[in-house]
Amino acid sequence: MLRSEFMNELERLLKDLPEAEQQEILFDYKEHFEIGKQDGKSEEEVSDSLGSPRSIANELKADFHINQAKENQSVNTISKAVIATLSLGFFNLIFVLGPFIGLVGVMLGLYTATLALVASPIFILIKIIVSSDPGILEALFVMMTTGGLGVLLSIGMIYVTKAFYFVIVKYLQFNLKIIRGDNS
Amino acid sequence: MNPQFKKGVLTLCVMVMASKKDRYGYELANSISEKFAISEGTVYPVLRRLTKDDYFTTYLKESQEGPPRKYYRLTESGKGEMLELINEWRTFSDGVERIIKEGLTDVEK
Repeated sequence: MLRSEFMNELERLLKDLPEAEQQEILFDYKEHFEIGKQDGKSEEEVSDSLGSPRSIANELKADFHINQAKENQSVNTISKAVIATLSLGFFNLIFVLGPFIGLVGVMLGLYTATLALVASPIFILIKIIVSSDPGILEALFVMMTTGGLGVLLSIGMIYVTKAFYFVIVKYLQFNLKIIRGDNS
Repeated sequence: MNPQFKKGVLTLCVMVMASKKDRYGYELANSISEKFAISEGTVYPVLRRLTKDDYFTTYLKESQEGPPRKYYRLTESGKGEMLELINEWRTFSDGVERIIKEGLTDVEK
């Protein structure tokens, strides 16, 4: 691969990173080619020793998205971190996606339960109006209990959601560490 | 050698090399690849990560032969991390070495 081919390929693959980040990265590889030239190496020799732009880009993207997810904990950044980690290899499909889907499932279950509890007074109210059941007082108690539980659970879920993000980010970082075998 | 394992070793190597004096990327990549086979391009993501973690600081310095080069300097916290990594590496390699020795004496018997 010629220098221009290597650099164009790398630039293309880094497209979704912020402009400043891209420039910094490309600068490093440009410098590498420059010094290689001074060292008497051909462009092909330098790009051969650098390795494939794809694997370099995949790693840089995974690093970037993991960092983003750490700084700005949103579903968007976390999913991008997961996807970027997945692109590092098949190995991660089981180790990242498996537990991730499991956790998402648990969270969805909890959200559904909370929603059902919060909405329960409305359904009980409808039932009271529709049916001529004499147990109105009883129904009102149930309504207050489940509704109250729903509100408490909602508050709890805010904390659980925060913890969930934290765990996912930690898990992704742990995963990258295992994959790379480094400590940074 | 497993590429993931190599990346871990790479982190240790660049830190140790930069602890003696400030180094530029090409120099680090090139001298490591002379000792064992790596894709030199993988050194830069490692350097970026270590810089983001504040284990390295960087600065540009003019060179006589061409454009300025980006130098990497190991910070104090970088030194601490390096010593920890060296310890881990020694424990690991001593362990492997002992297993190999024990394994080989069995074969030789």
